[in-house]
Order: sequence, then structure tokens, then C-alpha cells
Amino acid sequence: MALLEIKNLSKAFGGLVAVNQVDFVMNEGQIASIIGPNGAGKTTFFNIISGYYPGFDGTITFDGKGLINLTPEKVAKHRIARTFQNIRLFPEMLAVENIMVGMHMDLKASIFHIVLHSGGMKREEGEAYEQAVELLKYVGLETRKNELAKNLAYGEQRRLEIARAIAMKPKLLLLDEPAAGLNPKETEELKNFIGKLRDDFGCGILLIEHDMKLVMEISDKVAVLNYGEKIAEGAPDEVKNNPMVIEAYLGIEDEDEEEAV
Amino acid sequence: MDTIKNYFRLIKEKQLIQLVLIFLAPILFYLFSKSSIIFLLFLASLFLLYRIRLDMKIKGIVALLDLLLIIPLAGLENSYYLGIITQIVIYAVLAIGLNVVIGFAGLLDLGYVGFYAVGAYLYAFFATSQANNVIPESIYQFPLSGNWFWLFLPLALIVSAGMGVLLGLPVLRLKGDYLAIVTLGFAEIIRIILNNADKPINLTNGPKGLTPVKPPEIFGIVMNQPIHFYFIVLVLFVIVFISAYRLDHSRIGRAWAAIREDELAARTMGIPLVRMKLLAFATGAGFAGMMGVVFAARQTFVDPSSFGFMESIGILAMVIMGGMGNIRGVIVGAAAVVILQLHLLKELSTFLTQLSVSGILYIPSQLDPAKYEKLVFGLILILMCVFRPKGLMPAKRTMELIKGFRKKLTKESLS
Amino acid sequence: MDMIVQMLPQLLIDGLTLGFVYAIVALGYTMVYGILEFINFAHSEIFMVGAFAGTETLLFLQSAGYLENMPAPLALFLAVGVGIILSGLLGVTVERIAYKPVRHAPKLVAFISAIGVSFFLQDAVRLIEGLWKNAFYLSTPQLFDSSIQIMDTMKIPVKVIYIVAIAIVMMVALSLFVGKHKWGKAMRTVAQDKDTAALVGINVDAVISLTFLIGAGLGGAAGTLFSVQYTLISPYVGFILGMKAFTAAVLGGIGSIPGAMLGGLLLGLVEVFGAAFLGIATGGVIGAEYKDVLAFTILIIILIFKPSGLLGKAVVEKV
Repeated sequence: MALLEIKNLSKAFGGLVAVNQVDFVMNEGQIASIIGPNGAGKTTFFNIISGYYPGFDGTITFDGKGLINLTPEKVAKHRIARTFQNIRLFPEMLAVENIMVGMHMDLKASIFHIVLHSGGMKREEGEAYEQAVELLKYVGLETRKNELAKNLAYGEQRRLEIARAIAMKPKLLLLDEPAAGLNPKETEELKNFIGKLRDDFGCGILLIEHDMKLVMEISDKVAVLNYGEKIAEGAPDEVKNNPMVIEAYLGIEDEDEEEAV
Repeated sequence: MDTIKNYFRLIKEKQLIQLVLIFLAPILFYLFSKSSIIFLLFLASLFLLYRIRLDMKIKGIVALLDLLLIIPLAGLENSYYLGIITQIVIYAVLAIGLNVVIGFAGLLDLGYVGFYAVGAYLYAFFATSQANNVIPESIYQFPLSGNWFWLFLPLALIVSAGMGVLLGLPVLRLKGDYLAIVTLGFAEIIRIILNNADKPINLTNGPKGLTPVKPPEIFGIVMNQPIHFYFIVLVLFVIVFISAYRLDHSRIGRAWAAIREDELAARTMGIPLVRMKLLAFATGAGFAGMMGVVFAARQTFVDPSSFGFMESIGILAMVIMGGMGNIRGVIVGAAAVVILQLHLLKELSTFLTQLSVSGILYIPSQLDPAKYEKLVFGLILILMCVFRPKGLMPAKRTMELIKGFRKKLTKESLS
Repeated sequence: MDMIVQMLPQLLIDGLTLGFVYAIVALGYTMVYGILEFINFAHSEIFMVGAFAGTETLLFLQSAGYLENMPAPLALFLAVGVGIILSGLLGVTVERIAYKPVRHAPKLVAFISAIGVSFFLQDAVRLIEGLWKNAFYLSTPQLFDSSIQIMDTMKIPVKVIYIVAIAIVMMVALSLFVGKHKWGKAMRTVAQDKDTAALVGINVDAVISLTFLIGAGLGGAAGTLFSVQYTLISPYVGFILGMKAFTAAVLGGIGSIPGAMLGGLLLGLVEVFGAAFLGIATGGVIGAEYKDVLAFTILIIILIFKPSGLLGKAVVEKV
């Protein structure tokens, strides 16, 4: 069954069409990738799904429900989680707190329970803390739980950000260039980790990535954007040999950051 | 042997002097409750008591003795210092409230004092004969008795929080600076209305203000002595302190911190932005409103001049000085600013006047330090922002409280 | 009704005069906001210092006996000149001491620092004037006491003509500078993107200093004009006026120079007419004392419904 079904998605800023009539489908439990040269509209595509741009054309259906009038909060309620191209943790909060912020939607204690320290609230908080520590253990950061997020190493911050997204119990996880800034060894680890995420949490994973090796090895399907339009879609091997894709990529080697997220 | 070694270490770390101070200063304060230096020494000892590394039980006992025995006893001797201490506690509560808005949620609220005014006028209106201008005397003969004071505390909290929500709903979408200006405008509007709402119906009695406000009353005892108010504000302080502390260490506190750090990322986690901001705004407003009732009852009169922008900035200075987001730091900030404002500047003024009068040194009356609160507050704000933007006691995030829950949890699951 | 018609021309003149003062002060807010996205809360005190500088200049000329013998326009130009220079330098100093060190800190910190500067300056001026003149309320010497009769009901004081003329000249000069001059263009570049501006070789710090110099200088000129028009000043005169000028800047669209001018004029008119008509409309129940409420209410309403103002561009947050 289709987890995410996008039809005719378009978004223009002023005169610039960033995403142009894109169709895209991915199924539950799939790992899909969106690739394309810099400025191809990949991050815009993510930002639309994340509810950052209220106005767009086309339809997005998620888990059988149409997503309309999107705000980031509403998108989160549909259990769509994401990470950011240039990590956006809560820098002055502890690692474990970052995870617990991710659990916010599942914590219910009201202001009265909190002020009065009701038993239910204490249990909820205690359990949340334990789960958060478990999650940190899962991403290998257990010993760093009481560090401020800003004091973690770059690679650790990337993992923490993924763990924070997982804490939202997502059905769909959007990863925006998860391998950016990682060395080859770390990228290899990331590849295994993404596969494991899918298996352990059963969520669909959609990533934007520049590292072709990573994309081709882990993706069930790949879509290619260029100048806001989808120029190819299919299994990694099909896409790799598509002449239009090769043309779009020719001569494009630089790894500049595209639209800043 | 080990204990002796320990004591040596204490001396080495200069903790011994602190220890002595902690135990000696209260006794001295009790004995010489009129000396200004010993008063300051006593306050310093309270601060040290919080800082020093000592068994929590001893700490607690000394703190309780200080707060419940020494201060009241010394206060019976010298109500001036009791007044200052009460003032510190009142401002500590106000600063904790503002800290929820600014420190926790990162919303710059310059209209805080407007909510303080709402609480004060709410009680003053009904606890003077003013309400007779609206409600016919045949229905009820105002003022209300002092017994109503206790009901007005939660009532003012709810009314002010409600006003906070009403104001917050439209403006909380605005970005930081704009929010500051709008809240400032709101406080000015409140003040102008208070100043002018003596016609067509006389609601606020204009610039003359409302008086005499009935003091609190309980079991037939009229609570109009400084010592009574000391205990009233102490109880409110404890309630507000615990509430703010618990909120900080909860899902709501984390949501506030997340919003403060990165609004978009917080929303992406499903944190309802407007609701959380409103909650912070209303919580702060509620605390301020509640203290407004105490203010009205303690002063026995209210007028618009008590609720100017200056007052908001004074409380802001406390929060900034102590350390945004740190409840304990904010209390220290409140103490520092109140002592500076009420005590040191005034003492200095008196001292300079004496010099002038005795002819030792001519000090022009224009130089009276008590008139230059704004200069002092301004300097505090600039210096803190430039050199210690996180305050004297920066907020530190810990998990201690929640770890406690966890221990209990494991204990429960074991049994 | 007759009364209203009779009042109209006079109200128009009063409103425009006040509006021009607001407009020039609003320019200072809008220029700094355009570059740093920061509300220079102390701008109202820069304005106040300008009022004192101008007044002290006129008082000096008076006590030295020059004022009676010199042409009034010359005295006015001298006063405005001193106001511009002192306020301009003060603006740059304030930026260096209190804003530059916190430029990269959270915005809250810079804003609070600005509040500190505002408070500090109020009492500092009070202290200086108190020691110097033993009073901190000053009366500005009267310049130009004649008026020109235009209609039966409309008299324009000569000083208003000069004030408005100076205001217009400054606005035109500023528009030309920002539009045409090399440094004006650099300013617009920095306002768009500081990092890129630095990359193409623009000295961002210098541009920021220049912005404060010009913005504060205009504020100082406005202060002097204000003192000449209303002839009574105190160290606390800037606060409410600054708030209103800020409202004007927001009304016109903050960051937009023509917007600040338009917003200032509109607000001046609204306030003067509002104050006059509130009383008439409510039969004297609600009167001119609520004119400040009017300005603040306008501010709140604009910020809620059209935060980009009349001439401002809606800002899309970069994600």
C-alpha cells in the first residue's frame, strides 16, 4: 500500500518555479531517495511535505489521508519526522532532552498534573526518560546523554538528530542529506544504520542524498529531480543508466550546499 | 582522622569562614537587628547557604530557622529590614513569573507590569468603596471584608492569566522584538486607562488612585502588620517557586526551551507553538496578577504610577542579572536589585545629604543617587548584556528531578 | 459641525508638523532595522539628546547676546547642526559600546542592551543638566514668532514652515544618498545580505556605523526641530515619542525609507485628528488623553493584520 502519494506537486517562489508538477509514490517500509543536482528543488520538496510552505499546488496523500492546510505541527501529528541538512538540534539542551522533546506528542501530563506532581505524571516522565536513554543507546550515544547537544561531535549530532526524529514514532522519516560531512567509514556505518532503522521501526524512509554510492546501495527506489521537474524514477539500476540523468549530472561535481535549510 | 582531614580541607577551601558566617550571621542579625552591615551580612549568609556544599538536611534546617524564626524575630525589632526582605520576596515571585516568559519560553514581555496592575486594581476595586460606583449599594455595601483577600489571590491569577491569553492570542505570532514593543504598548494602554477611567463612570479614581484597601483577614485577625505580609508572601513564594521549577522540568518546560532554541525544529517535533507560548505568557501573567493583590493589600492604596515601564524594566533587570532561565539565579537577581534600589541607593543618598548638611562636602541635591535608578538599571542591563549575557548564575539543564522519578519507578516495579 | 470645519485647517497643520517629526525619527528606526533587523530602542533617547543639544545651543546664543541680533533661520540651522553632530556621534558610540559586542548573541540580548542604553541616557542627561543648570526641564528660546495668515481660520506659524522645509530637505537628501551614492548602495547591499556584502568587499562594520551615524543624526535633527516647535523638553520626552515614531515606521513598513516618511505623516495626522474628534464624537467622555492609546492600538492592529506595513515587503523566512 502506498504510504506517500504525491500528485502534481508544484511550488513557486515569486517567478521561480522550485518544484514543478512532480508525482511521487512510495510504499510502507520502503527506502526511497531523491537525487538531483544542486538547486534541483529537493529540499523544497521536503519542506513542502514538512508543512513549511503553506501554499502549494497538487495533492499529498499520506497513509490514505490527504494532507491539506499543512503546518509543521499537523505534519508531525501524521507521524512524519525529519532531519535537517544543516543539523537543527536544540543546542542548549541535553542530548537526552533533545530526544524527550521528540516524544512531546506522546506525553500527555497537563499543567495541573505537572505542578501537583501527580503519580501519573511522574510515571510518564520516568518512562519517557528510560525510553530516551534506550534510544540514545540505540544510536550509540548513551554515555553522552547528559552533554549539551552543541558539545557533541558532528557525527554524534547527526545521530542524535536521527534519534530525535525516531522518538516521534514516525511512519515516514525524511532524512535531508544524512551523509553530508561524514567520512567514508561513517557513511558506510550510516548505510547499515538506515537499513537497520527501517527493519527495527518499520517506517518508510525518504532521503535526499548526494552520495551516489549510498543511494544506489540502500534505496528501493530513486527519483531524480532537475530544475524542479522529475526527470526519472525507478529502481537504482534503471535510474543510473538513464541518459537524462547522466546528462543532468554531467559536469556537476561541486558539493555546494543548496538552498539553506 | 578522616574527619579532621576533611575539616582541614574545608579551611583550605575557605569554606570554614563561609560556614561560620552561615551560622553566625543569623544570630548577629537577631541580636543587632538595626545594623545595616549585619543585615547585608545576613542576606549574604542566606546566599552562601544555597551555594555551599553541605548536607542537604543541615542546609534545610538552617534555611527554615532563618526564614521562619530569625527574620520574623528580628523583624519584630526592626520592621524596616523586614519590609525590605518582604519586598525582595515579592519581587522574587514577580521575577520568577517573568522568567517563565522570558527565560523559559524566550518571549520578551515588556508589559509584564500591566498584569500586576490588573491584579492590584481588581482587589483594590472591590476592597475599597470604589465598587459602589458600579454596583448599587442596595445590592452590596462595599468594601469587601479582608476575608475575601484569599479568594482574590486565585481569582486575580485566573483573570490575569485570561488577559494574558487574550493579549497573547493575536500577538504571540510576532517575532521577538515586535512582541516586546506590543507588550510594552499594552502596558502603557493599561496605565493610561487607569489614569483616565475616572469618567464617565469613576472606575479607577484616576491618578489619585484607590484607598484605603482592606488588609487581609483570617479567623477574625486583621493582617496589617509587616510580619503578616512577610508570611503571606513567603507562602506564595514557595508555591510559585515549586510550580515554576516543576514546569521547567517537565514536558512543558522542554517544549518551551525547544521553542526558545529553534522554533521551526520545535514545531517539526509536533509542539503546538501558539498554545505553548500562550501557556508561558499566561503563567507569567497569572503570577504577576496574584502578586498585584498582595501589593494592593500591603500598600493599602494603588495608583497608576506604581505600574510604569520602569517597574517592568526593574523586574527585567532582576531576570537578566540572575540568569535567564535559572529560577534560583533570578531570586538572587531580585535580591540584588531590591537591595541596590531600596537600600544601598537610599543609604548613599542619606549619607551624602549628611555630608552636605554637616558641611564636609557640598553635594548638589541634583546628584541625589536615589533619583538615578534608571541610570543604575540601564548600566546593569548594558553591562550584563555585553559581559555576562547569561547572567551571574547561568541556567544549567539537569535531569535530577526526572531521574528521581525513574528511581521510584524501578523501586515500584521491583516491589 | 461648524466647529469641526473651522478646526480642520489648523488640525491639518498641527498634524503635518507632528507627522514630519515622527517621520524623521522613524527613519532612524527603519534604517537600523533594515540593516540589523534590530529595534534600536535607544533611538528615542538619541532624539532626546538632539533636543537638548539644539536647545542648549540656542540658550548659549541667547545668553551670549547673539540670538537677538542674528537672523532666526541662521540660529535654527546652527541648533539643528549641533543636534545632528552630537546625536550622530552618540549613535555611533552607542553602537560600538552596547550593540556591536552583542551582534552575534541572541536578538533578545541586543534588544535588552538597547533598553539599558535608553534608560542610561535618560538619567545621564538628567544628571548632566541637573549639575549644569540645576534643572532638567528646559524651555527652548522662541524663534520666529510671526505667522502667515492664509485663510480666516488658517494661520501657519513661520517656524512650522522652516521645520517642514528642513524635514523635507533631509528626506530628499537621504533618499538621494541611499539611492545614488556609493555608500548608500553599500547600505542597501548590507541590508540584503551581510555575508555576501562582506564577500564582495564591502566593509560591513563601516556601513553599520554609517547607518547609525545618519539615523542618529536625523534623530538629533528631529529632536532640535521638536524642541523649537514645542519649546519644553525633559530627559523623558523621547520615550513616548520614540514609541510613536516606531509605530510610524511599522505602519509604513519597517525597513522601507519611503514607508517611514509616509507612516510618520499618517500617524501625525491620525493622532491630531483623533485627539480632536475623540472628544467630539463621545461628547467629551473620552478625550485627548487617550491619543496615546490610539497610536498603540494602531501599532497592535498593524502588527497583527499586516506586519509588513503599507510599503514594506512581506518577508519569507529562509528555512
